[in-house]
Amino acid sequence: MDADSDVALDILITNVVCVFRTRCHLNLRKIALEGANVIYKRDVGKVLMKLRKPRITATIWSSGKIICTGATSEEEAKFGARRLARSLQKLGFQVIFTDFKVVNVLAVCNMPFEIRLPEFTKNNRPHASYEPELHPAVCYRIKSLRATLQIFSTGSITVTGILF
Amino acid sequence: MTGRVCRGCGGTDIELDAARGDAVCTGCGSVLEDNIIVSEVQFVENSGGGSSAVGQFVSLDGRRQIHHLGNQLQLNQHCLDTAFNFFKMAVSKHLTRGRRTAHVVAACLYLVCRTEGTPHMLLDLSDLLQVNVYVLGKTFLLLARELCINAPAIDPCLYIPRFAHLLEFGEKNHEVSMTALRLLQRMKRDWMHTGRRPSGLCGAALLVAARMHDFRRTVKEVISVVKVCESTLRKRLTEFEDTPTSQLTVDEFMKIDLEEECDPPSYTAGQRKLRLKQLEQVLSKQLEAVEGEITTYQDAIEIELENSRPKAKGALASLTKDGSVEDSTSSLCGEEDTEDEELEAAASHLNKDFYQELLGGSVPGSSEAAGVPEEGRRPPALESLLGPLPTAASLGISDSIRECISSPSHEPKDACGDGELDLSGIDDLEIDRYILNEAEARVKAELWMRENAEYLREQKEKEARIAKERELGIYKEHKPKKSCKRREPIQASTAGEAIEKMLEQKKISSKINYSVLRGLDAGGGPPGEDGPPPREHGPPPGEDTGPQGEAARPPEWTSARRLSRRKTSSRRSRPDPSTSAGKRLRPLVSTQPAKKVALGEASLPSAHSLEAERVRPTVVVVESGPVSYHAEEDAEEEDAEEEDGEPCVSALQMMGGNDYGCDGDDDDGY
Repeated sequence: MDADSDVALDILITNVVCVFRTRCHLNLRKIALEGANVIYKRDVGKVLMKLRKPRITATIWSSGKIICTGATSEEEAKFGARRLARSLQKLGFQVIFTDFKVVNVLAVCNMPFEIRLPEFTKNNRPHASYEPELHPAVCYRIKSLRATLQIFSTGSITVTGILF
Repeated sequence: MTGRVCRGCGGTDIELDAARGDAVCTGCGSVLEDNIIVSEVQFVENSGGGSSAVGQFVSLDGRRQIHHLGNQLQLNQHCLDTAFNFFKMAVSKHLTRGRRTAHVVAACLYLVCRTEGTPHMLLDLSDLLQVNVYVLGKTFLLLARELCINAPAIDPCLYIPRFAHLLEFGEKNHEVSMTALRLLQRMKRDWMHTGRRPSGLCGAALLVAARMHDFRRTVKEVISVVKVCESTLRKRLTEFEDTPTSQLTVDEFMKIDLEEECDPPSYTAGQRKLRLKQLEQVLSKQLEAVEGEITTYQDAIEIELENSRPKAKGALASLTKDGSVEDSTSSLCGEEDTEDEELEAAASHLNKDFYQELLGGSVPGSSEAAGVPEEGRRPPALESLLGPLPTAASLGISDSIRECISSPSHEPKDACGDGELDLSGIDDLEIDRYILNEAEARVKAELWMRENAEYLREQKEKEARIAKERELGIYKEHKPKKSCKRREPIQASTAGEAIEKMLEQKKISSKINYSVLRGLDAGGGPPGEDGPPPREHGPPPGEDTGPQGEAARPPEWTSARRLSRRKTSSRRSRPDPSTSAGKRLRPLVSTQPAKKVALGEASLPSAHSLEAERVRPTVVVVESGPVSYHAEEDAEEEDAEEEDGEPCVSALQMMGGNDYGCDGDDDDGY
């Protein structure tokens, strides 16, 4: 494998999860009734609201905590979160946009070669764990970066990480 | 407690004697267990729970379960011992907390299976326990990681003898196994086994091997043995079909081994998809090329047309020409850029003072930097162009221009946690569309109600039930199960103190008078009560059934009994004394048969005993002064003895049993 730039690996960010608070109590019932794009899950106590422009799905709790998933970049996530807060404002709640934090980023990458999983696990003992009975991929954890990689035999790799 | 059932009579009255280390059924007297592991009676132990009694209990339970499961899997003693060692390690690292013991036990056993290389699958264990295999897998992975044990990877070849045996090939068992092994090795070289369940591969290999040796084994038979789905097996067979090895005849296969290796099937599938995509791209490029040609023709035609038209004069002409040139060059940069640039330039030209102010005021130097070169470059050309155009101020867009230019300065403010919602870039109109009007809201509400009707009905029923129970006064406040907080181990000098502290911590029972309990310590468990005074009534049934005499009991149980005595005395001393001694004695007699009946029942939860005692205070009334303390003690003694007579109600059991292991299921039993 050359380490040249012509063998560029493109890594695609497929999902960015973020949270923010509105610092005010939200009446889920009202949101559910007046929002055009919401799903009310009463048994769990949350409302799912989907936005089209940045394609995101937000989970809204009555305490005012909102989790936003589905964005493809950090800026988009922030933008979507702001739009969401704006729409809540329009519904009549005194929303304050605070504590915005990106919590998890998921990316996908493809290797142009296949990978031998059992040998790979053997060579990377403490970090890699492979359980063919449970999941077809090797789970490789990097503690220092707090990242988890799922390595498939076809060469595609899924990277997730929780930032704090 | 795990609610053990006696093997002899089926009763659940199991009595544990920690001193003798055995578990006895009080119904038929059969000994269920001996050699319960008893190390030392410490109250500072923290493995698995607060006090040591419970700690022992946990390891006792664990060992039993390991043996039980291990026997079902036919593991030898060495494996079981190793598994128990793993379990002890897990317990010492607090890994059993918050997890079902059964899961941890299963994970330990599976770990042993892996290290020893026995042909047991995680699926087998989950079948035995009726647990989701992924849940078990999670526990297993965690255990392996925490204990730093590297479980060697599963080799499907290990499973072949086991499955072959189950498929009953008779005499040719060995031959079929060998063929299947060869097939598997071939599969491995052809990259069919990465990421696949080993059992599926085994199934395919065995099926082919069986057919090769003229055994008719249907797919159904194989899948019932191997525990995979029919479609999985078929898929493996098709994949194998794709490899060149499948083209060989039986004899050839036994002799030759093909040199070349194949790619894993998922990889080839992926490659195929890639190739398709590439084809599509090429096609689209070709289309584009064709389209490009068409557009060039179009442009050429248009230019011709324009040239033939009469030319406009003056500034306007230069405007249009420059404009079009600008457009074509800036179309490469993107529309937004041009707009911004133009706006900025316009602003710089028209509101020069205004802009200076901005530049002076804005925090980041970026806009400044952006502004100045623009200014330097633009003005000469634009001035001539924009001279006749209306000013920004008159257009009323100065505000928005200001916003656009200073938008970079907004971001740091936002990040400071101002709390204000930054509305830049948010299209309010679109958001308005997200809000339904009244009619729509009503329709939606109706729809939702209809869909979730069942859930709403359940809620209503629940509320009705709660209201009814409230009226009846037996409503229990069901607190949602809190996750068990880690409790500090209780440091105590005496047994009595320890129990008191534990009770204080737990605060479960409303039937305990805590103030009296605390007073206990002051009293210091008076030995005066201990000596059994002469009994007036016949020996309570308790003494006969309870195998342990008072003396034999370890100190903590006597103090527990003292506690229970205290309880009864406190409860009895509260109602006002009004009757004479005689009356008191008779009701005691009358309550005895009730007690006997209670004993007779197979299951007598501790609650009943306490409730029965509660009933007694109304019947048995304590008299005032004239009665001697001694006599009162007698009655107390008796009651206490009777209480003891019931199936081994230890203080722990009375307080609510084995909660310490944080087994989620265990309620307080009240």
